[in-house]
Amino acid sequence: MNNWIQLPGCQYVADTECTFSFLKLNVLDEITLRIRAERGNSTSAWYIVDSFIPFLKAQIGPPEVHLEAEDKAVKINISPPGKQMWSMDRSRFIYSVVIWENSARTEERTETVYPRDMIYKLSPETTYCLKVRAELPLQKKVGVYSAVHCVNTTAENKLPPPENIEVDAANQNYVLKWDYAFANVTFQAQWLYGYLKQFPEDHSNKWKQIPGCVHVRTTQCVFPQRAFPDRVYFLRVQASDGNSTSLWSEEKEFRSEAQTVILPPVLNVKTTSHALHAYVGAGPVDLHRPLIYEIRFWENASSAESRILQEQTDFTFPNLKPLTVYCFKARAHLLGEKWNQSSDFSDVVCEKTKPGATSRTWLVAGICVLVVSVPVAVYIVKGLLRCLNYVFFPSPKPPSSIDEYFSEQPLKNLLLSPSEERTERCFIIEDVRSMTVLEEAKGTGGDLRAYHSQASRDSGHYSNEDESSGGKTSEGSVQEESG
Amino acid sequence: PDMIQKCWWLAFLMHVFIIGFQALDCDFLNVNLNRVIRKNMKLLRNVSHSFPIECLREIKDFELPQEILSHSQMEKRDIKEAWYEISTQAFCIFMGHAFQTTWEETHLTQIQNGLYEQVAYLEQCLMEDIHETKEEEMKYSGTGRFLLNNLELRKYFYRMNNFLEDKKYSYCAREIVRVEITRCFSYFYRFTAFLRRR
Repeated sequence: MNNWIQLPGCQYVADTECTFSFLKLNVLDEITLRIRAERGNSTSAWYIVDSFIPFLKAQIGPPEVHLEAEDKAVKINISPPGKQMWSMDRSRFIYSVVIWENSARTEERTETVYPRDMIYKLSPETTYCLKVRAELPLQKKVGVYSAVHCVNTTAENKLPPPENIEVDAANQNYVLKWDYAFANVTFQAQWLYGYLKQFPEDHSNKWKQIPGCVHVRTTQCVFPQRAFPDRVYFLRVQASDGNSTSLWSEEKEFRSEAQTVILPPVLNVKTTSHALHAYVGAGPVDLHRPLIYEIRFWENASSAESRILQEQTDFTFPNLKPLTVYCFKARAHLLGEKWNQSSDFSDVVCEKTKPGATSRTWLVAGICVLVVSVPVAVYIVKGLLRCLNYVFFPSPKPPSSIDEYFSEQPLKNLLLSPSEERTERCFIIEDVRSMTVLEEAKGTGGDLRAYHSQASRDSGHYSNEDESSGGKTSEGSVQEESG
Repeated sequence: PDMIQKCWWLAFLMHVFIIGFQALDCDFLNVNLNRVIRKNMKLLRNVSHSFPIECLREIKDFELPQEILSHSQMEKRDIKEAWYEISTQAFCIFMGHAFQTTWEETHLTQIQNGLYEQVAYLEQCLMEDIHETKEEEMKYSGTGRFLLNNLELRKYFYRMNNFLEDKKYSYCAREIVRVEITRCFSYFYRFTAFLRRR
């Protein structure tokens, strides 16, 4: 936090606000600002602004707009705002245009346009004004409107563009149809990948000819479906009379998967003892994409429907009630960008479940009971055995109540543990003449000291360790301790 | 056992009730998205035959935000938003001018179309949720909604974009970024697979 950087554009500012750009700063990193006042050589203390992430705080600015008139339409070219701040969102902006006739402000129209688009349905030779704003709906951010731009539409061209473009599916082909008022013209049709429209770059060179739709004399042309695997496209048509060409028609969005018809699948239901199985057979459709199958089922008595969606054609329904009638119906969905492509429902099939499930539950319950009861039984048997043992094979151990009456150790030892070896503490009395020290050892368990004597007769060293190791008997006269 | 069965049935019905309330469209998300993502991963992997050895020297760690993947509490919507972020960013990179000459046109358009499809699915699903909120909630001030997880993902892609710029979109830089994006998809795909099994 110690390397504060001077903010260009905000040095020696006389006003109480300043504007700066983020330059090389990463707008995703958190930054802090600090400000102070200066007069001459004296400065105030720094005021430190709460840190923030510029990207999260930023507002969407006004976009740049260029307009060009084309007959009854206006070509609009929008540059996304905030090249640095929104650099990673450039293609995600949605542009909202408000357009009105300059003379009649009250009749405003709002349209959503692509960054390079055409605004149609305008009158020729009229002045129109508009303003544009950029939005990022998923971030819930709405931008500021641009300045108002005005443009004059021109007179209608001799050759108008074709109108009312439609696409139909027939067999394995698509049929592109349009309307045109004049005769003796040829047409050509072009297509463009749909996603390119979202980018503000010029894609005019990315349009391609539709095979079978070049120099056609009729107001329709046919091309194979497999030329347009399921995606989004834009189509446009142009008329030509040899000398001049018309402007391009309105660009028609074409979703190739939306044209195919899906037949309802064939449904078979089978019961086994454990569960219910359903098999779905697809209709004869030649598609580039797999289908998703949906099965809806309900108890015959109730109306509450459940459903399963999956790609596989085999369905299993495990947790159903036994001995109940269930009804099923199925349909197929085509996976496409707009997934409201569905077939109709198949016929309803009803089946009764088998009672298998209950017996399985009982089996499980039985096992549980067994698992719990076995340790209990063992415990009981053990208790019984203990009882028997006590009655017929009493243990030689005296009852513990004896402890109360015989608390002293030697008596206790006498009575209770006859088998234990009795050890006694002894001490040696030596020849009086040679004895230097004679000390009596104290009572039971008392400290016993090692005796050292210079006696000749009994020259052994006798020492007793602590009680615990027991005593060592030795030769010589032994005198029993007197209590 | 009968009581237990009753409870299970109730839970099942409730689950279905909740599903029924969601738009039919978003229910397809799992099945659809998986298929599209798998297809895109395959395309991205196979577009170059093998990673050029001479580019190994320039490999950089872009710090994929793995902590996102460790959240066990991620809601379905948050996952969709995360996927949306990485799909749009990847799409943006591959639509860049520099990539136009990297691969054959057919491969390039397949990848671009594939990623666009991925983005479009997610967008449609997320937009439906947005439309339920009122217009007034759209404010001019920058208090939009942007998940912090997505901020981390955005920084991750920002590092990739910076790398491409610094290396002047060299062939090695483009290859490295392609591999990184494929790796990113794979991580996220495995993560959502885990969630789908719940």
